[in-house]
Amino acid sequence: MQRPVNGGKRPMNRVRTGIRSNVSTFLRTPLNVVLALLLPIVVIEGWGQAMAGLPSMPTVEAIPIDLGRLLGAIFGVAIIAGLMGLAQMISARAADRRLVQTGYPPRTLLATRLATLGGVTVVVAAVNYGVLWLTISPEAPVLTFVFLVLAGLVYAFLGALVGALLPRLFEGSLVVVFLAMMDAFLSGDSPLASDVPEFVEYFPLYHPKELLQEAMFQGTYTTGDLGFVAGYLMVLLVLVTVVFGMTMRTSGGWSA
Amino acid sequence: MGSSTATTPEGNSSEILVRAEGIEKTYGSRLPFTRSVTVLTGADLEIRTGEIVGIVGANGSGKSTLMNILVGVLEQDGGTVERTGTVGWCPQEPLLYDRLTVGETFRLFGSGYGMTAEEIDEAKHRLASKLDFEQYLDYRIDQLSGGNRQKINLSIALMHDPDVLMLDEPYTGFDWETYLTFWDLAEELAADGTAVTMISHLIEEQSRLDRIYEVRDGQVYDVTDQEGETDATASERGEATDE
Repeated sequence: MQRPVNGGKRPMNRVRTGIRSNVSTFLRTPLNVVLALLLPIVVIEGWGQAMAGLPSMPTVEAIPIDLGRLLGAIFGVAIIAGLMGLAQMISARAADRRLVQTGYPPRTLLATRLATLGGVTVVVAAVNYGVLWLTISPEAPVLTFVFLVLAGLVYAFLGALVGALLPRLFEGSLVVVFLAMMDAFLSGDSPLASDVPEFVEYFPLYHPKELLQEAMFQGTYTTGDLGFVAGYLMVLLVLVTVVFGMTMRTSGGWSA
Repeated sequence: MGSSTATTPEGNSSEILVRAEGIEKTYGSRLPFTRSVTVLTGADLEIRTGEIVGIVGANGSGKSTLMNILVGVLEQDGGTVERTGTVGWCPQEPLLYDRLTVGETFRLFGSGYGMTAEEIDEAKHRLASKLDFEQYLDYRIDQLSGGNRQKINLSIALMHDPDVLMLDEPYTGFDWETYLTFWDLAEELAADGTAVTMISHLIEEQSRLDRIYEVRDGQVYDVTDQEGETDATASERGEATDE
């Protein structure tokens, strides 16, 4: 029987091949690229103008239009990263099961997906930061960018989790879009959403928004908020790993 | 919950590569207003080296469910599956990544099989030449016709020269030439010792099969030596059966 003989050569690197495939898939989906590049302009300026006419609040130093732009930026990063995370999981699920059946480890596959998501999130955050920077000069530019990336990562992992749980892209998109909109609105110190209940503090964007706002307007950050975001990411990572592992579970293996 | 085991082949001339005993499967749902569907109620079968095995049965009889359980992508509720060697699985619908090119698809699945870049390249050119898709190696999967997509679907199952081939209606969309090439290939592989198992609907194919299993009423029947035709082939021609 003919069999592949490695002849001392190393098998193709699965991580590198996986990430390359994921990036190619992302770049060959024009809607992804258009959304990642155009949405920041629309949401940042749109959110800013929407809040421009609102009165300043005594508890918030930032003027409403700047606060609106900041909320637009955090929403822009979150929504794109969340939808990318969702699409990476749902649209490829059936093919993923076949790939795992060939011997590709599910955890390696998940790692390549999350690494790609991380890269995409950094790019999307950079675009949002650039648009934001045109209108506001952040007090701490590096921290502002890092916290935008963190907000994106939270939603990227959340999107991946929704994608691993739900069967179809349509339902998943509704969940991610509505969650991100409500999250950014309720977490955003908007005069329109005053007296929000205390549980809003546990929403995915609440602490990233606090970090971003502080870095942007005061140039500082609170360790407690950063710890909360790190914990949030860890919990989401564990949940995604468990759920993805369950969806990719095969019954017994074949000897190689 | 059933169990599954895997061992390595020992090179016997008629070695059993897959043995399934008492396989049970019911598709259930926890949602209200949905029904459970019992598909398999104790299916047994064996697949040996060098055999071309056909799995036949009426629509909805559980052929694909049985194959998915044998491959290991679906967990059975009861019974055992013992597997030996390596498997190549060609699902009924092409399960591929639409935005990747044919070449990239070979590289990704080849990395899953643990092949080197050279082995992947060799397999890609060998199968592209055999199944006549060399001109499409740089095309994306979503830019291919249904027949060409099916060729890639089949090639991914074949690329690592598996001990057992599990094919779920692998020739859907093939033109006549490719269909004949497919059968030449299946016979070559079987002659080399590969166990080729396929879900088949075509009555004419039954003369090419060494063994025929019919899935009926949740059970699997060996109908190889039976005179005449199976219930499934009769029902596919629209004739009444005694079910």
